[in-house]
Amino acid sequence: MVLAWTVVLLAWEMGFRLIGRDSFAFPAPSQVIDSFFDLAGLRTEFGAPLGSHWPMPAAGLHSANGEGGITAIPLLSAPLISGLRLLIGFTISIVVGIGLGLAMWRFKLVNSALGPLFLGLQTLPSVCWVPLAIVIFGLRESGILFVLVMGSCFAIAISLRDGLRTIPPVYQKAGLMLGASGWRMYRYILLPASLPAMASSLRQGFSFAWRSLMGAELMFIAVDRHGLGYLLELGRSFLDTAQVVAVMAIMISIGMLADRCVFAVLERRVHQRFGLVANS
Amino acid sequence: MSILDIFNLNGTPKPPVSQTRGHLVLSSLTKAYNGSPQAGVRDLSLECKPGEFVCVVGPSGCGKSTLLNLVAGMLKQDSGSVVLDGSDVAGPGPERAVVFQDHGLFPWLSAAQNIGFGLKMAGLDGSEYDDRVADALKMVHLANSGQKLVHELSGGMKQRVAIARALVIDPAVLLMDEPFASLDAQTRTLLHAQLQELWVETSKTILFVTHSVGEAVRLADRIIVLHAHPGRIRREIAIDLSHPRDFDSRDITELVHLVRKEIEDEVNRVTSETAEFWKPAGGSGVDRGSLGVGDGI
Repeated sequence: MVLAWTVVLLAWEMGFRLIGRDSFAFPAPSQVIDSFFDLAGLRTEFGAPLGSHWPMPAAGLHSANGEGGITAIPLLSAPLISGLRLLIGFTISIVVGIGLGLAMWRFKLVNSALGPLFLGLQTLPSVCWVPLAIVIFGLRESGILFVLVMGSCFAIAISLRDGLRTIPPVYQKAGLMLGASGWRMYRYILLPASLPAMASSLRQGFSFAWRSLMGAELMFIAVDRHGLGYLLELGRSFLDTAQVVAVMAIMISIGMLADRCVFAVLERRVHQRFGLVANS
Repeated sequence: MSILDIFNLNGTPKPPVSQTRGHLVLSSLTKAYNGSPQAGVRDLSLECKPGEFVCVVGPSGCGKSTLLNLVAGMLKQDSGSVVLDGSDVAGPGPERAVVFQDHGLFPWLSAAQNIGFGLKMAGLDGSEYDDRVADALKMVHLANSGQKLVHELSGGMKQRVAIARALVIDPAVLLMDEPFASLDAQTRTLLHAQLQELWVETSKTILFVTHSVGEAVRLADRIIVLHAHPGRIRREIAIDLSHPRDFDSRDITELVHLVRKEIEDEVNRVTSETAEFWKPAGGSGVDRGSLGVGDGI
C-alpha cells in the first residue's frame, strides 16, 4: 500500500512540475510538505525547482513568524487546542449520552418519547447546530462545545441503548438467583454486561465528536484560541490551497490515530474478554 | 452444613446424606400466556420430597420451562402456589439455584469468579471464600481451570462451572433447565455421570427439565410427563433403580425403550383422538410436538 501511494504521489509531483503550475486549484505534494513545515515554524522549499540548495531556502530554516512560544508553531498549538476542546466536550457528551442511553433503555416512556427524535437528530449534520449555538452562546468556546456535544451525544445514547438491549436476559436471571438484587444488579451484572456496548458507543461517539468539533472550529474563527478548523479556514482565506490540504491531512491523521490507538483497542480488549471475537 | 463439608475430596463417595431441606410442593399452579406463543401451565400439582431427583419430560411447547421458571421465581403464577420447606416462593433466591440451558455464565468473569459470585453477594470473602470456590472447582473436576475466561471453556466445562456456581451457594433445591441439551453425546454422558455422582453425595432435591427420555431415565427417581395446551401432568413414572447407575446396563436400556414406547403410545392415542393436541403453539406439524425420542440420550 505504501508503495502504491508513493508511486501515485511521485506521478502527481512529476505531472505538476512538467505540465504547469496552478497551485491554487491543485497543489503539488511538495508544496503540501512545505506547508507542514511552515505550520511547524520552519521554512523549507520542497516545492521550489530542484537546485543545489533544495529543499533548504537560502535565507535559512527559520520562518518569518518565529516569535517564539508555542503559538508560533501552529502544528503543535492547533491540535493541542482542538484536543483540549475535544477532551472537555467529549467528556460532557459521554456523560449526557450515557445518561440518556440508560434512561431510554430502562424506561419505555423515555424511549418512546426520545428515541425517534434522537434518531432524527443523529441524521442532522452537526454543523447545522452552529447557527443555534451562535444565537445561544455567541462566538465563544461554549458555542463550540455545544456543537460538539449535540453532534455526538445522541449517537452515543442510541448506540448504548441498542447495545444494552442485546444483553442476554439470562445474566439478569442468573444474577437474581445468586442474590444480586437492587443496586447490586446494576453494579455487578448490568454495568459489566454493558461494557461491550459502552466501548462500541464510545468509539462511534468519538468519530461524531471529532467531526463536529472540526466543523464548529471552521465556523467559530472569531474565538480567541485557534484550533485546526481555524487553520483550515485561514488557508482558504489566503488562497493557500497547500495549507488547506495539509490541515485536512492532519485532521484525518489525528482522527484515525485516536480511533485506532484508543477506541478500537478498547473495543477489541472488551470484546476479547467477552469472547466476542474469534481467535483471541 | 455446606455441601462442601459433605463432599469427600478423597474421591470415595460417602454414604448418601439424609436430606431434610428441599421439600418442594406445587399446588394447582397456573400460568397462562394469552396470545403469546409461550406455553403456559394449568392446574399443575407436584410434590418433590427432600433429596428426590425429579425429571420433567415433554415436547417443546409443553410448558416445562415455564414450570421451572415459576419454581425459580423468575415468573409469577396466575394462581396456585409454590412452597419450599414451608414458605411461599416469591421471586428468585439462592435457595433455589438454577442451571440454565445456555449456562448463563458471566463472560466478564473467570470460571472461579463465576462460581464465587453468589458467595460474594452473600457477603463472603477472605479465606472462606477462597476455600469454597476452590472446593467447588475440584468438585466439578476443574481445579486447574479456575482462571480461564468463560469463552476459553468448552461447552461441557461451561455447564460444569454453572453447576458448581449453583451448588456452591448450598441451595435447598437445584433447578436444571435442559442443561445438557446443546452438548454432544459423549460430553452429555460424562456430565450425566458427574451429576449423578454429585447428587448421590449431596442429596439435593433436583428438578430437572428435559425433552430427552433417555436422559430422564438415566438420572431420575421419578419422571413427570407433561403434555401441552395447557401444560398438565400426563403421567408419572417411577424409575426404581438404585444410584449410582450404570448407564450401559440392560436395565436402563430396556427402561428407556419401555418409557419411550409408553409415551409414544400415549402420543399416538391422543393424536388420533384430537389431531391438534400435540401441536406446539404456532407450529404446523406433529413432528415438532413429538418427544425427543431417539435424538441421542
